[in-house]
Amino acid sequence: MTSDSAEQSPVSTTSPSDTGIDCHIQVRLKPEGEQLLLILPKSAEMPDEATWFDLWQQLKHRLNSGERFWQENTVVHLMADDQLLDGQKLQEIADALSEVQLQLKRVFTSRRQTAVAAATAGYSVEQQTPTYSLQQKTIESTELLAEPLYLQTTVRSGVEIRHPGTIVILGDLNPGGTVIATGDIFIWGRLRGIAHAGASGNRACRIMALQMEPTQLRIADAVARAPETTPAQFYPEVAYVTSGGIRLTRALDFSKTNFLLNS
Amino acid sequence: MSRIIVITSGKGGVGKTTVTANLGMAIAKLGRQVALVDADFGLRNLDLLLGLENRVVYTAIEVLAGQCRLDQALVKDKRQEGLVLLPAAQSRTKEAVSPEQMKKLIGALAKKYDYIIVDSPAGIEMGFRNAIAAASEALIVTTPEIAAVRDADRVVGLLEAHSIKKIHLIVNRLKPAMVQAEQMMSVQDVQEILAIPLIGVIPDDERVIVSSNRGEPLVMEERLSLPGIAINNIARRLEGDKIPFLDLMAEHDNLINRIRRMFRN
Repeated sequence: MTSDSAEQSPVSTTSPSDTGIDCHIQVRLKPEGEQLLLILPKSAEMPDEATWFDLWQQLKHRLNSGERFWQENTVVHLMADDQLLDGQKLQEIADALSEVQLQLKRVFTSRRQTAVAAATAGYSVEQQTPTYSLQQKTIESTELLAEPLYLQTTVRSGVEIRHPGTIVILGDLNPGGTVIATGDIFIWGRLRGIAHAGASGNRACRIMALQMEPTQLRIADAVARAPETTPAQFYPEVAYVTSGGIRLTRALDFSKTNFLLNS
Repeated sequence: MSRIIVITSGKGGVGKTTVTANLGMAIAKLGRQVALVDADFGLRNLDLLLGLENRVVYTAIEVLAGQCRLDQALVKDKRQEGLVLLPAAQSRTKEAVSPEQMKKLIGALAKKYDYIIVDSPAGIEMGFRNAIAAASEALIVTTPEIAAVRDADRVVGLLEAHSIKKIHLIVNRLKPAMVQAEQMMSVQDVQEILAIPLIGVIPDDERVIVSSNRGEPLVMEERLSLPGIAINNIARRLEGDKIPFLDLMAEHDNLINRIRRMFRN
């Protein structure tokens, strides 16, 4: 209340095409019962030049930043969907998993070539007809929002994290890095890159950080830059959308502000 | 066990090759067997900085093609026992080599040498991927500028993805006077973004340019300059010695500067 609003620069609304950013184009890891599901995006959903190399890099980042959260020798089921994987690619996935003590055991795919490669490599295979797609099922069920994604990592320049739900990051979001969530974004560290909450259009979403020095904040279709002058002192802040655009407020005062807004 | 260290930065012109040449020489002076590998195919420079250009006969490409043996391609530095250079081909491009071939080449070197230091090209494309293919450690060279730090940050992310976890930072070309005047990023500012351990700070010095042009690494001089000392210290820290960082700020921390800072705050 003391802090906020006025110094935050005015908001420009972006074109509607920007809303509804697809948060399903990245590799996802999802615990299910005793196992961990490694879900690859549908190859049709990937931007054309998102190559195998990008996919592999996403997987490595994801595995490195979640290491604490699964137990050794957890079994992984690979949901390859319609991705074309040969023996070498499957081996690279298995290697990346075994580096963090995870075991690839089963491969679900809708492509015959991938099924053959996986069977040759000795994994148990379940081939699905393309019409029955697991990925599709997850999309439907995540209309509500997937469970929060919790990562312990520094999001460095060039890294983009997307998740169809809320994202919690224990670490800094560096300049040049991007975090895009359908839900809220919590940065337990310095927020210096680009954060986009409510990416599918939910203006009630929020962005929270211990230290707000963003390149840009986006909530749903609203965009804001950080103030030109950096404050002398930092404290945890919350960004939210008002009729006047994105506003920042001290985290400690946020519950009060929010109460006043709603009343 | 030999240590395979890649020296990289993302951005060009921050001093990777200069650091590689000097650090190689400094480690060799500590009595280690050192092989420097120029991974900058098509734009090789390392031989120039070491003053070995006119002794290059074969390059890594000929070794890979089986046209010569590995030890034939290695150029021994006559000034310093224990230092050799594996030159890159100047006539080819970075696509001429694959990461697997680099691994094979460096694996062969690892049998004989304590340190294999790979000078990476700028960028994050094929040349970079070749350079890091065999490495188990990395030294990130950056200057205190936002563009260099941004690129270094990107490179750290890529190294982590490639499971290279032992990464150290060298801040090069620091100008203490400008840092004092708050016109340049400080080492702390750089570290705050990159969040990797610091192994050395090299001050900016015109003598570096002179030594590069002569092909005589700074650390060879009898009366060492400040950058020379800084590089020697990096070599000893790599060896595991605990050496305090040079106090580059001391001579600029005079009364006037202090008063100036007081007013600025």
